[in-house]
Amino acid sequence: MAKVVKIALAGEGGQGVQSVAEIIAEAANEEGKEAIYIPNFGVEQRGGVSIAFIQISDEPIGSPKFEKGDIVVALSDRAVRRTRQYVGENTVFVYDSSIEGIEKDLPTNAKKILAIPALEVSKKELHPRVFNVLIMGAVLEATGVVTIEQAKKAIEKKLGYKFEKDPSLRELNYKAIDRGASLVREQ
Amino acid sequence: MANKPITGEQRVFMTGNEVIAYAAVMAEADIMYGYPITPQNEIMHYWTRLAPKYGKKFLQTEDELSAGFTTIGGVLAGRKAFTATAGPGNTLMQEPMSMAEMMRIPTLLIVQQRGGPSTATVIYSQQEVTMTTYGGNGEGFRIVYSTSSHQDLYDYVIKGFNTAWKYRFPTFILGDGYQAKMREACVMYDPAERGIELVKPTPYMGAPGTPGVDRKPSHMRNTYNTEEELYEVVMNLAKAYEAIIPEVVEFEELNAFEADTVIIAHGVVSRAAKGAVKELLAEGEKKVGYFRPITLRPLAVNELREIAQRAKKLIIAESSYGQLLKQIKEAIYGTDVEIHTILKPGVGITQEEIVAKYHEVK
Repeated sequence: MAKVVKIALAGEGGQGVQSVAEIIAEAANEEGKEAIYIPNFGVEQRGGVSIAFIQISDEPIGSPKFEKGDIVVALSDRAVRRTRQYVGENTVFVYDSSIEGIEKDLPTNAKKILAIPALEVSKKELHPRVFNVLIMGAVLEATGVVTIEQAKKAIEKKLGYKFEKDPSLRELNYKAIDRGASLVREQ
Repeated sequence: MANKPITGEQRVFMTGNEVIAYAAVMAEADIMYGYPITPQNEIMHYWTRLAPKYGKKFLQTEDELSAGFTTIGGVLAGRKAFTATAGPGNTLMQEPMSMAEMMRIPTLLIVQQRGGPSTATVIYSQQEVTMTTYGGNGEGFRIVYSTSSHQDLYDYVIKGFNTAWKYRFPTFILGDGYQAKMREACVMYDPAERGIELVKPTPYMGAPGTPGVDRKPSHMRNTYNTEEELYEVVMNLAKAYEAIIPEVVEFEELNAFEADTVIIAHGVVSRAAKGAVKELLAEGEKKVGYFRPITLRPLAVNELREIAQRAKKLIIAESSYGQLLKQIKEAIYGTDVEIHTILKPGVGITQEEIVAKYHEVK
């Protein structure tokens, strides 16, 4: 059976996890792979935990949801608690090191747990608005599902109209994706 | 004005709702009537973006009752009209759809199932099977396609309009919130380039000429005075419906007619079921099969009976508390196959769960 890479991204509504998921899935599709991306949402207009499920494979993919992810990323305290259920013995669990009060809630059965200072780095070195792109870099480094180059193309496709007006935004996004990848490499 | 949004074959990566809007344009639908409800909203959104470019129309009504009846109105005027809804909206749609059943009106309703009962979740379920197949005060003389992928959504929306207008029974595309919101690849095409002939709509009312002089009067009726009068009408509907069943029934299977254990699922859950059976076959399990009814109404009764007579066990998996199960039990009545179930109302079912169930019961 073809290997399917399963990714769950979770954060607070507005943190941009759905945009990142969409870009990763589109980049995989552009590379000629099979990809499924499904957002999970409640009835709230704002707030609440927002989860994105992505699966990428060389062959057509079955059910849109999965039990355990290969990589599960949680970007808030509530997201950590909510995504524990998707963590298994083969899961790399990534969370932001600035999240407080979750020491007891971290999964205990993960293959590996990575705390990365994504929020801090995006604030201090880049700009808070590219926090999610930095997370995308980390996910791509951890999974290798699509190349950083392909992801940059997908970002260009999605945000190209903004880059036209302000080319420094392109630079900022590309830096964020590279920096996100390096945060995982350094672990 | 551009003629068509799709020429040749185009691989796209988009949400199911967007795929449906494109398919409706390519099926030469004239007008959509609708009232917003998650998770079908974007069908309306994308349709309203596309429609004006291709000379098509949209009307937002005050509720789903009205959206259903205006769809009927559009059809009576000879337009390919459709609507879309979900959950509690589907409940309200049942009244106009039973009128369409009575008067043989080729409406097309796309349902993106959400959790129930009542408002419940806006996410996903398969809990609108009973309502979509047998809802309203009637006998369920309808055609219901249960889709499982974006490719299905594209193919069956195009096919659904043809089915409705060819057989003149209300037709439904039964999707769900996952299919509505997820993004995956599918290939869009111009049906004409694949040799699919689109059935042309014709008006029920307001045709040219003078009724009784140069054409027959159009006599649309859903009210009857005597029991006997109604009986005759409904029996004629039953006869007409039963006659088309062999042409309309659709299913998909893998090893189902050779297996000891057959896993049955419809819609998006069938992806998990098919994946599970492929996985088990690859592992060397030989006596496992997969069966997916594509039409839930009419159901592939003959094939299900054949399977039930041959197999030892059935595993029925669905995201409801037994709505497909009930129909299958009725279809295989009298056989003594053992039935096992995975019933998860409003919750998705994974391939892993189905594989585990197989090992548990085999």
